[in-house]
Amino acid sequence: MNIEAMSLQDFRGLLQQIGEGVAGVDMSDEERVKRAKKAFMQKLNGHRAVDLDSCLQCGMCAEACHFYEATQNEKYAPVYKYRLLRRFYRREMSPMRWFYRLFTPDIKAADLKEWQHLVYDTCTGCGRCDMICPMGIKISAGIRVVRHGLAAAGLVPPEMRIVRNEQRDENKLFGVGAEQLKALAAKLGEQGIDIPLDHEQADVMLLTTAVEILLFPDTFASSARILNKSSANWTMFSDAFEATNVGIITGDDPTMKLAIKRIVDKAEACGIKTVVMPESGHAYQTLRWEGATEMNEQLPFEILSMPEFISAEIKAGHLSLNAQSNGASVTYHDPCRLARKGGVMQQPRDVLAALGLDVRETPANRRENYCCGGGCGEYVLKDAADLRQKAFEIKKREFEDTGADTVVTGCANCRVNLLIGAENSGWQTPVTSFVETVAANLAD
Amino acid sequence: MTLLEFASGPGLQWALWIFVFGVVWRLIGALFLLSRKDLTKPREYNSMKAGLGAILSRSAPAHAFEKSIRFQHVTGYVWHFALFVSVLFFAPHILFFKSVLGFGWPHLPNTIILVTAITATAVLIALLIRRATHPVQRFISTVDDYISIFVVLIPLITGILAFAHFGARYETLLAIHLLSVEAMLIWFPFSKLMHAIMTMPARYQAGTAFGRRGVKA
Repeated sequence: MNIEAMSLQDFRGLLQQIGEGVAGVDMSDEERVKRAKKAFMQKLNGHRAVDLDSCLQCGMCAEACHFYEATQNEKYAPVYKYRLLRRFYRREMSPMRWFYRLFTPDIKAADLKEWQHLVYDTCTGCGRCDMICPMGIKISAGIRVVRHGLAAAGLVPPEMRIVRNEQRDENKLFGVGAEQLKALAAKLGEQGIDIPLDHEQADVMLLTTAVEILLFPDTFASSARILNKSSANWTMFSDAFEATNVGIITGDDPTMKLAIKRIVDKAEACGIKTVVMPESGHAYQTLRWEGATEMNEQLPFEILSMPEFISAEIKAGHLSLNAQSNGASVTYHDPCRLARKGGVMQQPRDVLAALGLDVRETPANRRENYCCGGGCGEYVLKDAADLRQKAFEIKKREFEDTGADTVVTGCANCRVNLLIGAENSGWQTPVTSFVETVAANLAD
Repeated sequence: MTLLEFASGPGLQWALWIFVFGVVWRLIGALFLLSRKDLTKPREYNSMKAGLGAILSRSAPAHAFEKSIRFQHVTGYVWHFALFVSVLFFAPHILFFKSVLGFGWPHLPNTIILVTAITATAVLIALLIRRATHPVQRFISTVDDYISIFVVLIPLITGILAFAHFGARYETLLAIHLLSVEAMLIWFPFSKLMHAIMTMPARYQAGTAFGRRGVKA
């Protein structure tokens, strides 16, 4: 396979240009506060209320946050990142609001601007804090509500806003749309890798991401090769292939629903039975664990991540792998939204072990794994570059502890972030994709 | 009416009413706020098992976090254990509970209660100092956190003083002890002391939310 991909350097250049010189959303302070409060009101449900009423303010969550660990800045304690929501709940919704109002300050536009840094730059929504909380509070869900409020108040950082607008208005990301998918499919076809496009009779629908098409076409080709070897009668739809959901990343509800709807409508119209997700943690979490609720219906198809699909095909005897015997070692980086937020932790390990690889675990792994440092769209934010690098250093230490030859991950966004971090710090260990590792060892 | 008569009569009654009504009111407010029904297809899991499992599993930190939160973990256990033993197994307390509930239970020797009460007091003071000095805890703390510590600390200290007959007439010390307990009861539903009630539903909902995704909470 010989497909020219955008270099990491060029992709970094592209990220640098996004949002450059773009002004903020023009809105009066009163309007911002009004809209943020309305969004808080809509999103603050019974689960979040129980969470907010349970917090002990013990601060243990700070110990789980890679950004706090990397900086020791107390403002980065997860409990503080959702403090704005707590203030809103106490003043406006709590059964004790008449009492709390006496000493809980109202939300001001300046607060919203302060929290813009806290919930976009310093939180990747990885949910590691959710795992440490002695009360079981889903802190990351609370922080996500704050993102919703800020998105409603026009405070999505410009880089994210530009990308969000592109997905919402043009059904494209980083300039990648149907044309680019078709061009790549044609090139791969010339090399003997069949990409069945727009086959309405198919049972299985594969999605991809703009990042894969631009930066990791090998991952895309690998997914196709695996599906071609499998029992699946599959296709990709040129008008509904993008799995990335910038809506969930920015906290912008209408875009989140729209991006889900594009996929769901297409799958339903064509009678798709299975949607296979590409290597993108947040895309899997969004469609698999929120799609049905957002669409207000039980979806008539199942949604599988690549590790789940591959593992099931191997078990059913439809796919076989060549086991290596060269003693190569790998460590698997759990993408947070695939692992602790998605429940896909054992399958990738089983498959890697079936390849004969020596699978080594980082000290914190599976549901306790450290985030790559750039999830939830954070890797597009210029202001957060230093923070991301500091968080990457934690990841690097974890990887080095294993002594593994290669890092394998199941999320292109994690991979981008790890590659950028590695490049910045001159770290040489290769970071590769799970499906590429599998596809390289497919048995005939 | 003497101070002790007030503290053990109408004072106590009012405090109990505010406590019960406040707790129920706050529980209703939080638990009855609607949540959208999750329509996604869960993995194979038993919702009750996952919920109850989280109540247990969150009683100890997950492996990766153990070292970083050891102080809070250990002091948390010592504090709660010492407090419960002091409250529930002191002979005069049991007499009081018997007068309210109609039944009692065996008590522990006074020397043991003295040790647990002093331990609980010492640990709570240590936690107060930590809250005031640890960068994260100091930064995130609100007035609720400090009041909640003081309203629990004062009944402990006045209880020990009353037990030791130290500082004033026994009746005065007892009245102050009762009044401080009443202050705690009144403060309880307004504050984070509510965690004593909310722990179970909070952990349970975490257990089911993670459980349906196939993740152990």
